[in-house]
Amino acid sequence: CSKSFLERQPQSTLQEEALTNKKGVNTLLIGAYAALDGQDYNDDMINLSGGSGYAVSPDNWIYGSVAGGDAHKGSDPSDAASILQIVTFAANSSNGFFNDKWRVNYEGIRRCNFTLHVLANVKDMTDAEKQVIAGEARFLRGHYYSDLKKLFDKVPWVDENSTSYQKLIVDDFKLPNDQDIWPMIEADFKYAADHLPETQKEIGRANKWAAVAYLAKTLLYQSKFAAAMPLLEDVIHSGVTTKGVKFGLMDHFHDNFDAFTENNKEAVFSIQYSANDGSGGTGNANQGQMLNYPYNGPFSCCGFYQPSQDLVNSFRTNDKGLPYLDDFNQHPVKNDMGVSDTVAFTPDNGYLDPRLDWTVGRRGIPFLDWGLHPGMAWVRNQQSAGPYAALKNVYMQVNQDKFYDGNSWAPGNAINYVLIRYADVLLMAAECQANAGSLEKAEAYVNMVRERAANPVGWVKQYIDPEDPMGGNTEEPAANYHVSPYPAGAFAGGGKDYALKAIRFERKLELAMEGHRFFDLVRWGLAQTEINRYFNYEKTVTSDIATGNFSARNKYYPIPQRQIDLSVKNGTSQLKQNPGY
Amino acid sequence: ATALAAGGSRTVPPHSGMDQPDESSLKDVLHLIEERFNVSIAYKSNLVKSKRVQLSVTSCQTPEEALHKALAPFNLHFEKLREHFYMITEKPAAASPAASSAPVQQRPVKGTVKDEKGNPIAGVTVKVPGTSIGTVTNADGVYAISVPGRSDDQLEVTFIGFEPQRVAVGDRQMVNFVLKEGASALNEIVVTGYTTQKKKDLTGAVAVVNIEQLNRQPTAQVTEQLQGQASGVTVIGSGQPGEAPQIRIRGINTFGSNSPLYVVDGVPTTDIADLNPNDVASLQVLKDAGAASIYGARASNGVIVITTRRGSGKISVHYDGYYGRQQPKKGNVWNTLNPTEQAQLRWMAYTNSGLNPHTPQYGNGNAPVIPDYISPDGGMEGDPDTDPSKYYVNPNFTDQNDYNNFHRIVRANKAGTDWYHEVFRPAPITSHNVAVSGGGDRGNYLFSLNYFNQQGTLLNTYLKRYTIRSNTQYNITDHIRVGENLAFSMTENPAVEINSSDAAIGHAMREQSIIPVYDIKGNFAGSWGDALGDAQNPVAMQARTRNNKGLNTRLFGNIYGEVDFLKYLTFRTSFGGEIYSGWSHSFTYPQYENKENNTSNSYSEGSNNGHSWTWTNTLTYHQRFNNAHDLKILAGTEAFDSRSRSVGGTTKDYFTFDPNFPDLSTGTGTQTNYSSRAQEGLYSLLGRVDYSFRDRYLVSATIRRDGSSKFINNRFGWFPAITAGWRLSEEAFMKSLTWITDLKIRGGWGIMGNQLNLSVNNGYFLYGGKRSATYYDLAGTNNGLTAGFSGMQIGNPDAKWESDVNANIGLDASLFKGELDFSFDYYRKDIKDLLYDPELPGLAGTAAQPFVNIAQMKNHGFDFSVGWHKQFSKKLKLNVTGTLTTYKNEIMKIADGVDYFDGDSRRFDGSNIIRNAVGQPVSSFFGYQIDGFWNSAKEVTDADDKVKKATNDPEAFYQEGAGMGRFRYKDVNGDGRITPDDRTFLGNPNPDFTYGINIGVNYRNFDFNIFLFGTHGNYIWNNVRWWRDFYSSFESAKSKTALYDSWRPDHQNAKAPIQEVDGSVSTQGVPNSYMVENGAYLRAKNVTLGYTLPAGSLSRLHVQKFRVYVQAANLFTITKYSGIDPEIGGSNITDFGVDEGAYPNQRQFLIGVNLAF
Repeated sequence: CSKSFLERQPQSTLQEEALTNKKGVNTLLIGAYAALDGQDYNDDMINLSGGSGYAVSPDNWIYGSVAGGDAHKGSDPSDAASILQIVTFAANSSNGFFNDKWRVNYEGIRRCNFTLHVLANVKDMTDAEKQVIAGEARFLRGHYYSDLKKLFDKVPWVDENSTSYQKLIVDDFKLPNDQDIWPMIEADFKYAADHLPETQKEIGRANKWAAVAYLAKTLLYQSKFAAAMPLLEDVIHSGVTTKGVKFGLMDHFHDNFDAFTENNKEAVFSIQYSANDGSGGTGNANQGQMLNYPYNGPFSCCGFYQPSQDLVNSFRTNDKGLPYLDDFNQHPVKNDMGVSDTVAFTPDNGYLDPRLDWTVGRRGIPFLDWGLHPGMAWVRNQQSAGPYAALKNVYMQVNQDKFYDGNSWAPGNAINYVLIRYADVLLMAAECQANAGSLEKAEAYVNMVRERAANPVGWVKQYIDPEDPMGGNTEEPAANYHVSPYPAGAFAGGGKDYALKAIRFERKLELAMEGHRFFDLVRWGLAQTEINRYFNYEKTVTSDIATGNFSARNKYYPIPQRQIDLSVKNGTSQLKQNPGY
Repeated sequence: ATALAAGGSRTVPPHSGMDQPDESSLKDVLHLIEERFNVSIAYKSNLVKSKRVQLSVTSCQTPEEALHKALAPFNLHFEKLREHFYMITEKPAAASPAASSAPVQQRPVKGTVKDEKGNPIAGVTVKVPGTSIGTVTNADGVYAISVPGRSDDQLEVTFIGFEPQRVAVGDRQMVNFVLKEGASALNEIVVTGYTTQKKKDLTGAVAVVNIEQLNRQPTAQVTEQLQGQASGVTVIGSGQPGEAPQIRIRGINTFGSNSPLYVVDGVPTTDIADLNPNDVASLQVLKDAGAASIYGARASNGVIVITTRRGSGKISVHYDGYYGRQQPKKGNVWNTLNPTEQAQLRWMAYTNSGLNPHTPQYGNGNAPVIPDYISPDGGMEGDPDTDPSKYYVNPNFTDQNDYNNFHRIVRANKAGTDWYHEVFRPAPITSHNVAVSGGGDRGNYLFSLNYFNQQGTLLNTYLKRYTIRSNTQYNITDHIRVGENLAFSMTENPAVEINSSDAAIGHAMREQSIIPVYDIKGNFAGSWGDALGDAQNPVAMQARTRNNKGLNTRLFGNIYGEVDFLKYLTFRTSFGGEIYSGWSHSFTYPQYENKENNTSNSYSEGSNNGHSWTWTNTLTYHQRFNNAHDLKILAGTEAFDSRSRSVGGTTKDYFTFDPNFPDLSTGTGTQTNYSSRAQEGLYSLLGRVDYSFRDRYLVSATIRRDGSSKFINNRFGWFPAITAGWRLSEEAFMKSLTWITDLKIRGGWGIMGNQLNLSVNNGYFLYGGKRSATYYDLAGTNNGLTAGFSGMQIGNPDAKWESDVNANIGLDASLFKGELDFSFDYYRKDIKDLLYDPELPGLAGTAAQPFVNIAQMKNHGFDFSVGWHKQFSKKLKLNVTGTLTTYKNEIMKIADGVDYFDGDSRRFDGSNIIRNAVGQPVSSFFGYQIDGFWNSAKEVTDADDKVKKATNDPEAFYQEGAGMGRFRYKDVNGDGRITPDDRTFLGNPNPDFTYGINIGVNYRNFDFNIFLFGTHGNYIWNNVRWWRDFYSSFESAKSKTALYDSWRPDHQNAKAPIQEVDGSVSTQGVPNSYMVENGAYLRAKNVTLGYTLPAGSLSRLHVQKFRVYVQAANLFTITKYSGIDPEIGGSNITDFGVDEGAYPNQRQFLIGVNLAF
């Protein structure tokens, strides 16, 4: 009697056995996709590790963009001060953000591993079906590891066979970070590229070409340009989206940042966000960007992620429509620092790359369909973090009913984060070609990107009536846009170094505020000079990064102290800290 | 001869022959009745001489029943003189008590015996010492006796509960006595684990609480009343009505819930929040394993045994009620700057930071200009934008575009809004209790009804509760008794989150004083606008909760039956438990007045219900052999089953906010719902042996075997305990020390278990889905999700019981005939296999980690209680009691290779205030120790240069963010620079000791009582300072300290550091000792002055008692703590003592009556 009385099955939950079938393993795979955003929700917009949602945003706005000089943290300096420590490179290993980022990626990996573990025992699937599931799971695992690798360099590798799923063996989780995991990441993407179909039923799934592109990117990060080049060429020439549409650039640059036009031919692989999806919160609604809206305007939060003057100046073009590759800060774009919003202000009337106003909200220019950016009134602390607002992550007013998610104190939205954009592929290919000495091909790829930018169809236009921003736009450009492709032979004429400089600069412009800049600078070996140059310039404009200083150790973030402490086995930490921390 | 014996009283030496009585003699039976029912029976020895009777005393439920049966065969009857006292006399035909036939008696003396109030006492033994002459007083307190007539004749009067007296008779014929109440409580019956014991026989550590003192504290919760009343119990409360206090018995035993087990009328439960304090008849705290481990698996946190009242005697009605007002502290409690000062601070901070303080709100001048309007920014009278005709705010907006068109006009409150007193208002508290009770041979009954209503001083918080109770017992036959104890409660208790900067009190602390409560049209004003910070209007927050309601109901109690058989055996069965349910609904209004507004509206409703039952069966064998050996053996089984469910949902977007409209189905937007359920079972076997030899040597052993459904591979656990006591005062060699009334040393060892914190699913690897975390918009719909699953729980099937190994040594003494008594205990608890869910390495993912038996903890400490009971004169009586509780908690182990875990990061983003580390007590504050200020730039460069030199690194520096006027941190590890390794333990909120002092004075019909409670050696993390003493901590309301006592070059001896715009690791960016304060305090918890109308004055109205009293609770507090209230609650054991806008305990003034008829 007492024995059965004490036998209680867990309620409202499943055990492994129930999932070991086709349906179960598919559902687990979707769970592995769901970790892409890193987010959870419990009324306070937290991430999967329990910390703040913004600490782990998969677009790496903190670790990639702000740390790379694209933007300021924003808001008041003491608001989420941990970010300021990270982006001024003062953060030590006990900064909780690193731990969150680490844990959330490993959660993604755990989900992939469990999917693969269950898959091995599933009976009601063909080998071919299993290979697709395995391909997707390994693609996702490759992604999570790539993120860890970029952030922390040496991280431990755990796969589906490393741990028990029946018994808690804590030592299973205490693995050393003593090896370079790029080869394993390559192997995952290679498997995915070899086994995934070109098209899939759901647009959100990875396909063969997403895997090929990511594999190429993995190689690029190791400066294996020669190996990456044919893969990228293959993507450019043969690649299609999961829906079978051939990759290409959208005419409208902003189509990449609007939930209405996303999952287009430029999206090689996207993290899918959804708003008002019945989850009750903003956990699937770009929650990592929840702070990054203008302050005191129509958005409830919070004035973070303010583009830097250095970035804005980079969009200055010369009379040939080309950027100032070296001395852009000698041609600064006029700003409204210290100008009250009640005092008149005329925006800069010099030549500008039109992508600026799809990347940066600045005073006097239409801020999507929300009206002219009013300047100081929308800025939380101009002296600290400058006069600008982030824009690529902001939803449109016209479709806010669908794509804005007001289920929390900070906005959510449905704008996907495009992890690999076709423009990125073109610029990666350009980089490979330039490194291989094919400067003309490199130039052609760069110019594809610039030609799209130069197409007036995609420019920001003046409102018909600024008081009625949704009332439509005139054909009048919002600023003095002037952008051109590099004249034929410019790369060849300038030489390989010039070509690489131009390609890198194009990445800065095209992919600004998309979380790549810091990692690009590190892989190019330019982080120290470029970021300290940035600090020296930018601190003449704002006060927040005055103490910023990048030293050699900072090319990787510190292994979270908490993880080092948790990896102690027989008195020794299995995880070794990165040099200099 | 009128020889006489009064049993139960040690003051009467046994007559010869009493030591070896015939077991079936009437005398012996009466003695057994005294023993069993803790009563005293007075009789003349000749009445019982040579009488024999056959009776099983254990089969009787009441002393009346037993006496009735024992005396039935004879020409005797008994009279109940008062509670617990009976007198046996011959039936009316018999001679008067004073009848005499003894030849030696020479001279009659008579008189009366009264108590100090002048009431006659019946049944008092009056005798001539050294002779066998004696008698007892009659119902009028009158005695008559004949003394030998010698010149040195004396009379001695003795009566249980009173001090004996002896006087010389001289030649008086009339000798009156006034007896003083004695304090000897040695014979008090104490309900312990599954049985009862006399206090003098206790060998475990048990604190017996004085219910009268307990009930003086005007609160609805017994646990709150317990503060300072029982040694070994630490209670930390809060001023919020209904907020459960933190209660710990002998330190901290686990990282999770430290809630003790409550056993109410034999039914174990973890929640007594709805128990009506007026219903409590007795309360004992079982502190050590010897006393508690009979409760095995749930005993580790200590056990509190409560019995509720039952009726006796003729029907009586009691009314107890009070009404009072609660007064918030007056004055500028948060030391807030007025609007001008706040603006000046901005100028100061910006100037210190080399920045321009100009801002639309305060202008561009050398000094700030306080505007007439804060919205529009910096508005002045006459500005077009302040024209009221432009005003547009629709507080009930449902459309984002509507909201976007608001034109807010808010006048600056130049005098400054006192946000504290905007949200905290005087509030009433009242309680009415009626109890009807009575009883007799065939049973007893009690019915009570209580209405309690405490309005919180914070807007829209309150506790309103109705409880009814019915306790009855039926004596079906002489051997079978059945009964029930049932209580039903209905509770409404809307509450706010406390100690959070994001709840109402936190926002009241953060909102700037220039912001008025309302705008020009009476809608809410707030931080919308320039330079107004980002806090929310706390009045608005609370006002928006006004229609939120909730109701919890609970039926708790048991039914039981007892059967006596085979003379020494009693079987008892009890089936009890609870059935509870609750619902609540709330509406979230959109905000428009703040900087960060949640503009959506939604309605949520939820309900929960559950039940649990405990079925206990015990068999007791009790026999006394040869009047020297007393043996009691108990064996039993217990089964426990608990099930609960909850369901609820949220719907968004309502057409109107009229409170009559929203329910879950009338909203037009997203609907979400949830449900959950849980169940568990426990099955136990238990046994207990109590043995005493000649009342001197006491041994007790208990054992329990528990099985729990929460464990898979180690389902059962054994929990033994053994205790022993030695009553030295019973030894011959102590008898000469007459000032020692009673002296006992006792000690024990045992193991208690715990499984409270373990989830029912701990043993399993579990998987499932959660829309926000595992579902994904795979199809790219932008508004829909595809279901996905992931790991939800990592399992540990090997978890087993926590064992709390517990040793106790104690001493109980009663001196000077009970005038002084004290009790002292030293204990040590080693908690092994402590269940803890250590964070797993990140590689494990983020599924819930399981509890494993990994951690260890240690507590040791002293409990001390003392009482002094003194009758100075007929009119003046003094009663002083005190308790002292200490515990020293130390974490011995957390997990393999892991020696700490952190908690509570507040706004320190990633750095934590609290570290629970091996070698430290739980919830220790952790951070940098401040070692003064950097008073000059040179100090900084000198320190940096030294480091650069030592490390040969030109980029090296001494302390991050070091600068003039900022904190200089202590180089704790002495490596010559400040690194995270210099963080250190800055104190902890665990007190060195807590104490309670109760002083009662009775003078004539007045009674005065004061109860003081204090803590010492505890620290508080005053995070209010973080918000208010640093300009850089958001643009919240700041303190006078920030403006007037911050570091300046001309004011280096400052309290706060230099005021700057940006935070720094060297000011408020990381946890440091600036926020740590001494939390010791002494508080007058209760002062009462009462007046009882003289007995008899109301007797015509059949009123037995009428007392009125006035009372002040929390009258004064002596503390150095700078916050509002040093009593900082918080339910998280590994993270408490952090003040971030506490709900203070307010002063209360009450008037009350006690009425009986």
